[in-house]
Amino acid sequence: MRKNKLFVVLVSLFTLVILMAGCKGTGPEGESAGAESEETESGKTVIDFWVSWGDSKADWFNKWIDKYNASQDEVEVKATFIAGDAWEQRVKAAQAAGTGPDVMTMNYGSIVFSAQQGKIQPLDEYVDPAIFEDLHDFANEFVSFDGKHYAYPFNAEPGSILLYRKDFFEEAGLDPEQPPETWDELIEYGKKLSKDGRYGLTAAGNTNDLAWSHWGLQAMTGQLPISDDWSKATINNEGYKKLFKFWKTLYDEGIFPKQQPGMYTEIQPLVDGRTAMMFNGSFTFDALRNEYADVVDKIGVAPLPTPDGNYKQPTSAMGGWTFVVDGNSKHPEEAAKFIEWFLAGDPEIMVDFFELSNFSSFTGRKSVDEALKDHPEASNDEWRKILLEKVIPYAVPEPIHAWEISLAYANALERVYLQGQDIDESLKQAEKEINDYIETNDYAGTNPRLQ
Amino acid sequence: MKKLSAINRSDKKTAFLMLLPLIGLLTAFVIIPLFYAVFVSFYKWNFYQENIFIGFENYRRVLSDPLFYKAMWTGLKFAAIVIPAQFILAFLFANLIRTLGGKFGGFVKTSIYIPHVISGVVASIIFLFIYDFDGGLANFIITSLGLEQVAWLADVKFALTSISIPAIWLGFGLTTLVMLAGLNDIPKTYYEAAVIDGANAWHKMIYITIPLLKNIFLYLLVVGVTGAIQQFDLPYLMTGGGPLNETMTPNLFIFTHFTKDPYMGYTVASALLLFVILAVISAVIFKLFNSKKMDS
Repeated sequence: MRKNKLFVVLVSLFTLVILMAGCKGTGPEGESAGAESEETESGKTVIDFWVSWGDSKADWFNKWIDKYNASQDEVEVKATFIAGDAWEQRVKAAQAAGTGPDVMTMNYGSIVFSAQQGKIQPLDEYVDPAIFEDLHDFANEFVSFDGKHYAYPFNAEPGSILLYRKDFFEEAGLDPEQPPETWDELIEYGKKLSKDGRYGLTAAGNTNDLAWSHWGLQAMTGQLPISDDWSKATINNEGYKKLFKFWKTLYDEGIFPKQQPGMYTEIQPLVDGRTAMMFNGSFTFDALRNEYADVVDKIGVAPLPTPDGNYKQPTSAMGGWTFVVDGNSKHPEEAAKFIEWFLAGDPEIMVDFFELSNFSSFTGRKSVDEALKDHPEASNDEWRKILLEKVIPYAVPEPIHAWEISLAYANALERVYLQGQDIDESLKQAEKEINDYIETNDYAGTNPRLQ
Repeated sequence: MKKLSAINRSDKKTAFLMLLPLIGLLTAFVIIPLFYAVFVSFYKWNFYQENIFIGFENYRRVLSDPLFYKAMWTGLKFAAIVIPAQFILAFLFANLIRTLGGKFGGFVKTSIYIPHVISGVVASIIFLFIYDFDGGLANFIITSLGLEQVAWLADVKFALTSISIPAIWLGFGLTTLVMLAGLNDIPKTYYEAAVIDGANAWHKMIYITIPLLKNIFLYLLVVGVTGAIQQFDLPYLMTGGGPLNETMTPNLFIFTHFTKDPYMGYTVASALLLFVILAVISAVIFKLFNSKKMDS
């Protein structure tokens, strides 16, 4: 009998321990961010900082974080570098368990919804308001919601530009300093540049890549596929018909491969000569200059061709990164001060970053741009000049509407060029899909930017 | 009799003790999260603000999304391609290996098992090279035969089949070895008796081998079908779910919502619905095959 009791007690204890282990951190109201260690042995407040680019720029981050840690004796910033693929899982799991970092990197597209849901805190009450006056208008708009600033910009990158091989242009009798400016020219150039073993142009080839890399092309039509207040589809119009026809022609004429040679962001097909022109983002500059220095001189950069050849219109969506303070951080002031020092303080910190990344992205700050004007490499960088003059001033922010809307666009385009569906029919179907989405999800009027 | 039941009681206690760690782990990592998921699926769930009870709203949204049905259908189609091919190949190979003895048999067994230890990620990359439009092995073979190049991963007609082939390759080794273990369990005397009765190879397969492998088939079918429907890494890396959502398997669909949605309700509700669908499919398979222990 006694043995039985012991058995029951053991079983109960074991189950309880396991249950407690299982329960830990599953509650939606987590305890606090950076729960691992709040203070160092010397009494400094620990600020956990998560960076979403893996180890690629870890040395650079650590160099400046060490300087910050040495510059004062109240706060110790500890950085964790997480690879892009694992980022979402890691962050969401930590947020759910209440063990998220104090500061983390966040892309522009996530800021508004994160602010709306209290996932991030406004910086205004902790930092000098003058730091926001240093921001270009586009960057200020990116990080603002409801009259407050929820992030500070790290960098900005145009997601769609034209890269082309000058040597292949010469080979085909085209002027390498005159890239195509209109859609018709692009088609004409594409035909001339295509030959056995080489395509005229490569671009986004799978649904996901089409869904986001076409935001610049969508902007050329003058309208996203959904109205600004998210109340109705705005995809079934002449602008989109023209865009679909343009894309289908590229495919039908064999200027595009029937299957793209890789992901949208891959630069190799241009480097190894499998294509003469490529749609890609400015983020490729880093890889081109670091890994393929021997072909850099042969590569030209231009805005995406537009229907009428005028580049003074949006040809690209601007993405990019910021630092934010977690909504559950116990030390928001210290966290915000760190961001202020790192991103809004000495412009040399960011100049150092742009130098390291081969000027593949841009700043949201006027003072950093000023500092870059005097930088010999930056001021002589032709690619950078072209983007600063012809792309960035007209770029649109990455849209924040639901992914389903971008997917409806991508699927409509795929139906046309892959399956040969009539353009009008496909746009009509996409219009219905978007309107159905709006209705099912009570989506009309929910754009937080307009609230 | 009394002595016997005392032994039984003690055996039971030992059995429960042995099961305890497993039950504990299952409770912590499966049962509690499952109930918690059901709980949050009724809320507009946010880690940082008060959760708002919205009843079946998340489920209504999932069930009125045509892409959810398309993803489920894609999962079923994927399983319908992968499982029969894997079964037939594995059955033939298992029979072949049984007849091979010694070192060569061991070599074949090891060779066909190797793909099983290769991760889906590595397989995806290998097959991305094979399916490359211009430099890939698949199109090299096709064009050598005088046929036109095929956009294996970009053509709506081929994409799902193209990602099924690495899945078959990856799962085929284990299926073969499990079938081989089943085959080796069938007493040789059955076959000898059948030969005396004048049975040929076909008869032996239909009347002895297949009926006696029923439970093995059942296990492989349930594990295979539910595994195939939940395929994630191959479409994630090779096609991103496209073209036209033709390779958007249920798990990839759920993962896409997980990474893109501002709220988690839709993701949790669709994951739970997938759980129900998989449970129903497993139940149907059990029912159809009428699983029971073989009479000795």
